[in-house]
Formats: sequence, C-alpha cells, structure tokens
Amino acid sequence: MSYKPELSRNWWLKHHYYSRYMLREATVLPLLFFCGCLLGALFSLTQGEACWQQWLMFMRHPLVVALNLLALIASLYHAKTFFELFPRVMPIRIAGKTLPASLMIAAQWAGTVFTALLLLVIIGGMI
Amino acid sequence: MNTPLKRSDEPVWWALFSAGGVCFAVVIPGLILSLAILYPLGLIDAGMLSYQRVHQLMFGNLWGLGGIAIAGAAICLPLFHAAHRIHHGLHDLKLAHSMVPKIVCYGLAAVFSLLALYWVAISLF
Amino acid sequence: MPARLLDVSVQRYRPELHSEPYVISYQVPYDDSTSVLDALNYIKEQLDGSLSYRWSCRMAICGSCGVMINGIPKLGCKTFLRDYPKGLLIEPLAHFAIEKDLIVDMSVFLQHLNAVKPYLIAGKDTPGDKPMKQTPAQMVKYQQFAGCINCGLCYSACPQFGLNPEFLGPAALTLAQRYNMDSRDAGTAQRMPQLNRPEGVWGCTFVGFCSTVCPKGVDPAAAVNQGKVASATDFVISMFRP
Repeated sequence: MSYKPELSRNWWLKHHYYSRYMLREATVLPLLFFCGCLLGALFSLTQGEACWQQWLMFMRHPLVVALNLLALIASLYHAKTFFELFPRVMPIRIAGKTLPASLMIAAQWAGTVFTALLLLVIIGGMI
Repeated sequence: MNTPLKRSDEPVWWALFSAGGVCFAVVIPGLILSLAILYPLGLIDAGMLSYQRVHQLMFGNLWGLGGIAIAGAAICLPLFHAAHRIHHGLHDLKLAHSMVPKIVCYGLAAVFSLLALYWVAISLF
Repeated sequence: MPARLLDVSVQRYRPELHSEPYVISYQVPYDDSTSVLDALNYIKEQLDGSLSYRWSCRMAICGSCGVMINGIPKLGCKTFLRDYPKGLLIEPLAHFAIEKDLIVDMSVFLQHLNAVKPYLIAGKDTPGDKPMKQTPAQMVKYQQFAGCINCGLCYSACPQFGLNPEFLGPAALTLAQRYNMDSRDAGTAQRMPQLNRPEGVWGCTFVGFCSTVCPKGVDPAAAVNQGKVASATDFVISMFRP
C-alpha cells in the first residue's frame, strides 16, 4: 500500500517562498478598498457638489488614509512582482538577441513613475 | 475514439487579469498617491479637487475621455484583476470546489464595472 | 582526526510493518565533499540495510535521487552536508504517493509527460531521408527548456500539482513548449488541446518555486506562462474557425 499525504490548507505558511506568493495574491485586497473609494467618487459626482464634499471628507479620514497607504504599498509590491515576471512570460527578441530582463523591468518602472508624475500634474497642478 | 478535451475559458479571465495587472502596477500607484495620500495630507490644494474642476476634468474635456479612462483603468480592469486572484486564492486555500466562487468573483467584478460605466455615462449626458 | 558527525533524519515508511511514515535519526560522519546521497549510501551500508531510495549517476544527470531536504525538493547528489550544520531531515518527494521509504510513485508524472508528446513530430514538410537542419538562432529559442532531466523536483515544489494531481505540471508543460518552439517540429496542433485544458497551462498560478528548485536552471515557470500566451492565441484563433 502506498501512502499519499494530503496537502494541508496552510501549505503556504510552511515556506517563505509560498508565503511571499500568497502576499502577492493578497495585494488585491487593499486594491479593492481603493477601487471602492473610486466608485464612491464616481457616484458622488453624479449626485452634485454636497455629495462630492462628503466624499472628500471621507478620503481625509485617518483610517481611510491608513488603508490607502496600505493599498499604495500593495500596488508597489504588486508592480515589483508583475514587472519581474513580464520578461519571462514575453521575452522580446530583437535581431536575434533577447532584450535583457533588467532593461525591461526598468522600462516598466519608468512607466509607473511617468504616469504618477502625469497624474500629479493633472490632478494637483503640481510640478 | 478519444473524447475531445475540454477547452478552458481561462484565456478570457487571464487577459482581463493581465490588463488589470498592468493598470494596478502603472496607473494605481500615482492615483493613490495624489488622491488618497497627498490630498488628505494637504499637499495638494483643496481647490484643485473642487467639484467644478474635477467634473470638468473627468467629463468636460476631450469628450469625457478622462472619466472613461479612470473607470476603465482604475476601476473595471483592476476589479477583474482582483476577481481573478481571489478566485484562484480560494482554490489555493481549498475553499473553492465548484463553479459558485468563480461566478460570484467575476460576476461582482462585472456588476461593479457596469455600475462605474453607468455613473460615467449619466455624468456625461 | 575523528570525523565530524551530523544528525541526519530520514523519513521511513515500510508498508509491511507500519501504516504511516515515521522518522529515524542517524549519525553520519562527513567532510566537505559528503553529499546527501553519500550519506544515504553510508546509512544503508553501515547502519541500516533496510533503507530504500533511488539513485544512479551521482552527477545530477539521471534525475533519480530527488528528495525533500528540510522541506525543499533537491537532488541528493547535488546537495552537501556541509551546508546543513544543524542537521537535516530527508523525506520523499512531496505531492507523490510514497511506495517505500524515500521511493515515490512517479507514474502520474510519467503519464503527464506522455500526454504532451515530448518528441519531434513529423509534418508534411519533414524530409524523411535527409538530416533536419537548424540554425543556432532557431535552437536558442527552446534550448533553455531542453535541459530537463525528468527528476520531478518541480512537481514537489508546485502547490497546484499538490492541490490537483490532474494538473499536467511544470516539467510536462515545459517540454510541450520546448517542442512547440522547435523549428523541426510539426506537432503543435496535436499538443495544444492538452495545453488548452483547465488542467493544462491554466492550472498554473505562477507561484514560481518550480524554477527556483530546478537543478538544471530550466525555468519551467517561464515556459508554462509562455504556454499561456500560446494557448490564449489559440483560443482567439479558434473563435474565427468554423
């Protein structure tokens, strides 16, 4: 008789490599909170100025700021993992040579930084 | 005779997941930074986020492309990205053994995406 | 000079004597060149002749001495006692059924390999009597994925295979991708139905540990996810086919 051990539900706690994978998957939880905030913004824009002011007040609540700070950290951790996977899933070959992964990762980070600066200019009138 | 093998519908969800993943990595950080961190800390002037200015930015300029872009890149696609990871996460935690979690995950993403697009549409017209 | 001794624990399972596995600890003398496989050979020859395990080449090419070492899948011949000063626990490869001691039943793995037809398949343009030429540029496309020695470490590293043994798994999907990318092969159409299944490439969630444990640097996670791109493309093409 052969013996087949069952994989336990907490398998992802048994090795830090698996825990980091679960952490990557869990980055969507704070993301959902921020998406909820944006849905609230769209709704309050349909309702008029008073409702929009309430949304702005909600966004200034310390607990909301804390959760969104967590969402920001989650988005950056997701970005790091996502950017590192991309060159492996879609290696780009130019003239018979594979583009170095570090170059592709740097280009993606440049995209994130550029978009952030663009949004700061548009939304905040900054820079 | 061999019975034909079942083709997975996963390419559809994977494509939405990937597109949402790009938005989550490229668009979301700057958006959280400006709207949810710098503004509450007073580093973005409150006048910049007045109802009139935001409404104009989102729906008044460029035929409302701003509002459509925000709904698509910061709400709809990230929601499908999140739905995909939660669906597979439930499987990883041995909590999903049927079609129900899949329908609930992608169904909710679809409902809230349509809601976002509906709110953009009524603001536009 | 007396040899240094290391505490080497081995998970034992003797179905004729016990209903469940148990752990026995052995004291093994070692120096800087003692591999885990050397330690197992020492235990079998000097301490306990009843220990069963697979091995052959001692040089990381036959792929038969894969075991879990402190919970990580590794080749016994390529892992050294000097790296485990606090001792180590050797267990059979995870996610497979244990036959006896460190010997697991690899038949699921072999069935999955077989399912993807991991060999060159001839097409109508294949010359029957002449050698099939390939340029270095054509070879480099699949070369990395061709290093697999079928040791099965990646299956023990893959929680998706652990959760669902029907999942074709890293090595089989990598070999499918390896032959699909080979300019001499005409078998992609025969392999795609296997890759397109829910238990094909779509069973993978890019945990990525398979690539970390691979003793030959094959990067199966990359191959499987390139397979997802191929399967998604195939999905779109199929919608336009009558």
